[in-house]
Amino acid sequence: MRHRATGLVVWGVLLFIWMQGQSIESLAMGSRPPATGMAAEDFALQDLSGRVHRLSDYRGKIVLVNFWATWCKPCTTEMPAMQASYDRIRDKGFVVLAINELEDEAKVREHIAQYKHTFPVLLDKDNRVANQFGVFGLPVSVFIDEKGVVQEYIKGGLLTEQKIDDIVARIQKQEPVKAASIR
Amino acid sequence: MTRGIIRRSVLVLAVLSCVSWGLSVSSVSQAACGAVTCFVVIGSQQQIPQEGLLTFNGIYNYTPMRLLSGTNGVIPAIDQAQRRLILDHHQEVRTVTQTFTFDLNYGITERLGVEVTIPYMWRTHKHIDGLGEDGPNGEGEQTRFSADGIGDMRVGLKYNAHATLSSMVVLGFGVYLPTGSIKDRDNTGEVMEAPTQLGRGQIGLNPTIYQTYELIPHRLNQFAFGSYRHTFRNNDGYQFGDEWLLNIGANLVTVPWLVLTSQFNYRYLVHDNMRASLFQSAPPTPGGGIEPTELDPNVINRPVPNTGSTYLAFSPGFQISMDGLIDSPLTKMTSFYFYAQIPVARDSNNNLAQGTSFIFGITKSFQVLQPKG
Repeated sequence: MRHRATGLVVWGVLLFIWMQGQSIESLAMGSRPPATGMAAEDFALQDLSGRVHRLSDYRGKIVLVNFWATWCKPCTTEMPAMQASYDRIRDKGFVVLAINELEDEAKVREHIAQYKHTFPVLLDKDNRVANQFGVFGLPVSVFIDEKGVVQEYIKGGLLTEQKIDDIVARIQKQEPVKAASIR
Repeated sequence: MTRGIIRRSVLVLAVLSCVSWGLSVSSVSQAACGAVTCFVVIGSQQQIPQEGLLTFNGIYNYTPMRLLSGTNGVIPAIDQAQRRLILDHHQEVRTVTQTFTFDLNYGITERLGVEVTIPYMWRTHKHIDGLGEDGPNGEGEQTRFSADGIGDMRVGLKYNAHATLSSMVVLGFGVYLPTGSIKDRDNTGEVMEAPTQLGRGQIGLNPTIYQTYELIPHRLNQFAFGSYRHTFRNNDGYQFGDEWLLNIGANLVTVPWLVLTSQFNYRYLVHDNMRASLFQSAPPTPGGGIEPTELDPNVINRPVPNTGSTYLAFSPGFQISMDGLIDSPLTKMTSFYFYAQIPVARDSNNNLAQGTSFIFGITKSFQVLQPKG
């Protein structure tokens, strides 16, 4: 009897811990990345100046949505390449939305100022957009075409200028998505 | 014959939840201590390594067991050979278990991981055997036991059931294999009692659950780990009692290369069970030499008195990431850690109780395959 009671208590505590902070939806869905070829769900986030950016505002452009944090070395390593590509091909309809995850605004501001990044930096303070895009490791880069469809979902791998250029060129040519990138 | 006190195996683990694909070094670990249990959540052992990442852990664990004040350590003898349980036949003195655990974790996918744990154990045990029977006045004779070898290996799968940047829930299921010896002998040549052997002699099932949440992202996270272990009855008729573990704690990232950890560890052990007849030892008497009296000749399943225990410990520790200290290929994805497990409350059922334990470990990860994408 004592054993059974202890067992129930232990499992009750574990269940409580698991449930804390978990919504029914998240339990059912988990945090899964969108499949390439599917429409990207819209979001609205503020940038460092307080302006609200919606993904749907950029319909008609190729959007690189990059999830990052200042403590994430691979993230900060690939940002100069994003900046370079942004500088070079933004006139051709290319946009970068760098979404910072869960960090203090002052810290993000300091980092952006130090590296002189000029693309929009958005703040995902409650992790909502990351969950929406199935992000549970950083960095993650999502390329979305002019129609708002996900064309490439890259986890972890470092972005280079060449890689960004190639993906943007492929999207502009409307080439079919590579099977390897379908997730 | 002897008796042991000890028991159980371990499990342990880990935390530290860095969620960076490229940055995060999964420091994993598990310590299996055989008769004694050290069960600290150590690094990210409970987590799923990044896809294609192989993580090696080497963990050294020192776990002493002694009698608590107010207890005398008089317990029954386990006679596997003749299937006898002899009440009040032993008096425990101490057990020391040292374990080196080799632990491998591999991320099959981003959410599914496999883990293999191989413990190598050194165990020494001392007790007084033959109360009422041996010695000039039936005070028994001191018996020593020493053995080393591989303990029961564990193979398991883990699945990240709830993955986000700020929290995760990992469900695991492992199987303990009976790879540890159950036939080691004491200094008198007798087969040592089941609870003191390096292995359990039968398969065990081990579901686990691990949860972590970033209270202050990348600065402070809490974690909880629960585990249940059921071992089936072995061929000697001995069955280890079920084991419940619950660990709750937090990690504080002070500087990027140093993480401080504090955790509470709770363990509840159900009584062991033996299929045996029942005997009673005589009390120490001048002259000694009194054979145990048979109480019940029927060989049936019997709970083993003085087994089963409750244990609560506080375990402070730290983890040093060499990656953040020295920039070289050798230190890449490498970390060291140290924990002390300090008892807070113990009910050892007049048996030996686990004292302050120490755990040292090293973790090294290798990206075997590049993740897709």
